[in-house]
Amino acid sequence: MIEVLISAAVLASMYGLVAIGISFTWASIGMLNLAQGFIFTAGGYTAWLFAQYAEVWGITGPALSVGVLILGMGGSAIAGLLVGSVAFLPLQDRANFRTRSLIATLAISLIGTQLWLIFFGPQNKPLPPVFGEGRIEIGAGGISYQQLGTIIVASGMLAAVIFWMRSSRHGLQMRAMMMNPLGAAVVGVSVRTTGMRVLAISGALTGLSSVLLAQIFFVSPTSGTQPLVTGLIISLAGGLGSIPGTVAAAGLIGLAEALTARYLQQSLVPFVLFGIVVLILIFRPRGLGGLLEDVRE
Amino acid sequence: MSILKIDGLSAGYGPVRVLHDLDLEINPGERVGLVGLNGHGKTTLLSTIVGLTGWQDGSIEFRGEQIGGRRSHGMGRTTPHIVRKGIALAPQGDAIFPGLSVKDNLDSGAYSGATWRSRRRRRERILEIFPPLAKLLGQSAGTLSGGERRMVSVGRALMSDATLYLVDEPSLGLAPKISVNLVAALCEIDLGDGAMIIAEQNLPLLEGRVDRVLGMHAGELKLDVGEALGDVPPAAGVHL
Repeated sequence: MIEVLISAAVLASMYGLVAIGISFTWASIGMLNLAQGFIFTAGGYTAWLFAQYAEVWGITGPALSVGVLILGMGGSAIAGLLVGSVAFLPLQDRANFRTRSLIATLAISLIGTQLWLIFFGPQNKPLPPVFGEGRIEIGAGGISYQQLGTIIVASGMLAAVIFWMRSSRHGLQMRAMMMNPLGAAVVGVSVRTTGMRVLAISGALTGLSSVLLAQIFFVSPTSGTQPLVTGLIISLAGGLGSIPGTVAAAGLIGLAEALTARYLQQSLVPFVLFGIVVLILIFRPRGLGGLLEDVRE
Repeated sequence: MSILKIDGLSAGYGPVRVLHDLDLEINPGERVGLVGLNGHGKTTLLSTIVGLTGWQDGSIEFRGEQIGGRRSHGMGRTTPHIVRKGIALAPQGDAIFPGLSVKDNLDSGAYSGATWRSRRRRRERILEIFPPLAKLLGQSAGTLSGGERRMVSVGRALMSDATLYLVDEPSLGLAPKISVNLVAALCEIDLGDGAMIIAEQNLPLLEGRVDRVLGMHAGELKLDVGEALGDVPPAAGVHL
């Protein structure tokens, strides 16, 4: 049972990061970013490239780990800005921005996958273990360094972002834009600048998730698809725009996936996850957080 | 130098022209009332100054700097830029942030860099102007009454380091006693070298409190306020 819980927490931390990114982007600029999978892979490949050169330059140990994490986040943040400059800035004040940007991000996602195939080929690329090898035994079960590291780094990063959102000027600016874009414009918040900032931050969170997931799986041209789908499920179930809702949904979905994989079958996981989100949306159409209900006018 | 100088300004939404070739000059230290019936362009004039109208054409100089010109799309795109030059708008409908606390709502008004650092002192000043807000600082703004929301919206505009304050219909939808207090508070604020335009339907609220009252009728400014209010009974009657 402990193993299942640990596995659930690991999944929740990784997918939660992607989901928070999707949720932030939707709430602040009204763009459902289907290119989040492309952004995810961009971070993975950046980290992988760094790891290749690190070997040549003789970087090892903690420096390699920190480098992989930071470059993974950086690569995804840049990919986020790239998506923004193609799908957000040119379309932002045109009619039907939501539909247009949805199509644009879908296109970026498809083109991106092909570009990765051309540049990196279809082979899986492994990342070096960031948290080292080994495990801590607790009673009957145990937790590997990798699992512990994933949970700590992901929740630490999430806590840092939430704290920054609640206490800083730029954070207030983003929260204001999520609540009322007109009010935000009136106090001098530029939707375009802030939107790009949101895309960079969402990208960085996704990149972190990419490096963490690559500890278990590999980086490949399509490795962003599954996190994108799970991230969308979580952000929908949590209520787009609600941080507490998304965190709760990440925990729930992580647990459901871990339980299904352990006691039923890995191949049933998508059915169970979609089943849960359908149930949640039937009973709470705005998701667990239900933020948009009281907040958007 | 005048704070605001508008020359030949027209503006509207799509095929509808609301403002017709309008001129206006506001001097430092002036508090100007803009009076007229619903739908005659008061809100459009204030919105156009900060670029929130569908289209606009004509010169708007703010402290000698051109912020107007011809613009036919991208409603609101230039607004943050104009606002940061020193124009604060308390818009119609308040546009407050319902999920944020009253404190965060006020602080958001002190958005620009230098102002942000002095936000505590500024907030204290707003609480002196609107004492009822002191008890509500931690409360979510979405749960406030109409009068409290209006105070938050106007307070947020006053938090900024603006030279020109635009207040759109402070009395709209409020109980008479509350609106009297609110407008009186607005008219007592020391403007220094700044200026304030208060758009209002209710002429008696402004009379004797502002330096100048302009009438607005069918998208044009009139010096004769009676004409702006038309032949209908005094606006006060409509309101109370």
